[in-house]
Amino acid sequence: MRRRTFFLGLSGLAGCTRGKRRLNVFNWSDYIGPNTVPRFEFEFDCEVRYHVYESNEEMLAKVFSGNSGWDVVFPSNYYVGPMAQTQLLAKLNHSKLGNINNLDARLRNPVWDKDLEWSVPYMWGAAGIAYTTKHEPAPARWADLWHESFKGRITMLDDAAETLGAALKKLGLPLNTADPEHLGKAKDELIRQKPLVRAYLNAEARDQLVAGDLLACQTWATTASQAIEAAKHLAFVFPAEGFSVYSDCAVILRESNEQELAHQFINYLLRAPVAAAIVNHSKTATANGAARAMLAPVLRDNQVLYPPESVLERGEWFAPLPPGAQQLRDRMWTEIKSA
Amino acid sequence: MNRLRFWTLVPARALNFLFFLVPMGIVVLYSLMTRGPYGGQAPPFNLDNYVRLADPLYLTILLRSFWIAGISTFFAMLLGFPLALFIANSGKSRSMYLNLVMLPFWTSFLVRTYAWMFLLRDTGLINSGLMALGVIREPLPMLYNDAAVVLGLVYGYLPFMVLPIYSTLEKLDPSLLEAAADLGATPWVSLWRVTVPLALPGIVAGSILVFIPCLGAYLTPDLLGGGKSVMIGNVVQNQFTTARDWPFGASLSLVLTGLVMVLLWLFVRKGGDKYL
Repeated sequence: MRRRTFFLGLSGLAGCTRGKRRLNVFNWSDYIGPNTVPRFEFEFDCEVRYHVYESNEEMLAKVFSGNSGWDVVFPSNYYVGPMAQTQLLAKLNHSKLGNINNLDARLRNPVWDKDLEWSVPYMWGAAGIAYTTKHEPAPARWADLWHESFKGRITMLDDAAETLGAALKKLGLPLNTADPEHLGKAKDELIRQKPLVRAYLNAEARDQLVAGDLLACQTWATTASQAIEAAKHLAFVFPAEGFSVYSDCAVILRESNEQELAHQFINYLLRAPVAAAIVNHSKTATANGAARAMLAPVLRDNQVLYPPESVLERGEWFAPLPPGAQQLRDRMWTEIKSA
Repeated sequence: MNRLRFWTLVPARALNFLFFLVPMGIVVLYSLMTRGPYGGQAPPFNLDNYVRLADPLYLTILLRSFWIAGISTFFAMLLGFPLALFIANSGKSRSMYLNLVMLPFWTSFLVRTYAWMFLLRDTGLINSGLMALGVIREPLPMLYNDAAVVLGLVYGYLPFMVLPIYSTLEKLDPSLLEAAADLGATPWVSLWRVTVPLALPGIVAGSILVFIPCLGAYLTPDLLGGGKSVMIGNVVQNQFTTARDWPFGASLSLVLTGLVMVLLWLFVRKGGDKYL
């Protein structure tokens, strides 16, 4: 018995949901509004099982089996191609996604999925440097995080792709390189920087920056924007050498028995008012251009979440890596962390 | 009679098979496979993962893990023995103290580790307290170093040291200490020459119970060490998460398990089993 029929059987036994369609949605944590799902359930007379994850890998570990019981999941852009190639995704039917034109023009034909055959961009973000304006001079480049004056008061992300990415950008090398020579140089840079680094942190860096433990940290724009809201002496910069950009995208799994409802859900998320309500709550950067115009002004004009075009030009999308490069990067990351 | 014995042992054997041998078998199988192009595990079967392990990088991390786990066990012993002795001699309050030792287990280890982070941070309770009192001017760097990792490990696994030592001390015949005193031993001498030797089985058992989980720790080095001091547990965890290289992770954890088993076997062979 497939797990889904098992679950449906269970809920049927419970007696109250018999006959209702059921959609299983697996999304990142803090990526939805409080009313988003209940309103969808009401409008489409269905039930949604909505669960959250903290990392792509956590989601992939479940979805990889091909009978995970999920219908809609939200991989980052660089996992869309690999997931499609391993036959995990269902092709999207654009005739059922009438609201797709609401997408930001920049995300209508993205490099990882030119015609949005498999994925619909949902949120996006970038990494840069958050810092306290009390420290002079303010950092403007990745190279500034190698400066002695920050000794012991900076953190880098605990994320091989981001941290190696910052070092690669500092060196003027491509973000997604698989060249061992490039990666070796980036590794050496990070080992050289390590004595200055207090720790490799992701979300925890925010509190320490707000509390004043840190002078600067490599972090994501969304995290930085939350920190700036909590403490006015903080600021964020998109480093001059360039920076990484990612997008989390909605996809429908091939295993799903609710393709119709899944399309309806994605199309619902694409509605401008729905997408606006979500980001008013999550305070992240929506991929929905029409929704952005409807946001509260503090969010709409937030230059950290929505940097101007001139800044975005320096961004580079993460891309899937060949397995050998992945292995090499992982070994280097272990070497950096144990140096 | 033999038949009865066979059938009564069936549940135990089945449990052993289902929850130990089968999962271990899967780990062995995975460790011989190859990472798929985007994670997962696939044929061909070979020993490549074990060859990769011979890298000095992983050997250094392994040695470091043994060192950190060893130091943590030593401090847990240093703190655990007097505590167990105190509890064993507390008469009626014994069960209350024992419950207090167990109390931290009621909360998740993760939450308790975060609590330590709040204590040790630059703007944490200890540093702000000391600065308010004027003892220090600059915050002491207490978080994100090896000392913080050892502290977290000792704190986390101390009960595993206290309980076995307590159980040997509890059974200790008080007349032996009286006899030692009658023969002129000072309290210190009788502690060293009567109590400690008799508590040795508990100390050994406690040390093994503390050392093994410390060796595989990954949460504490990550949170209290700030990801700057990697232990072998972190490398294993990373293979199953970010690196998505389950076969390599499986071979790493098998080697770790194997090393621990060999050490225990050597210990028993050298006559250590009389302590167990």
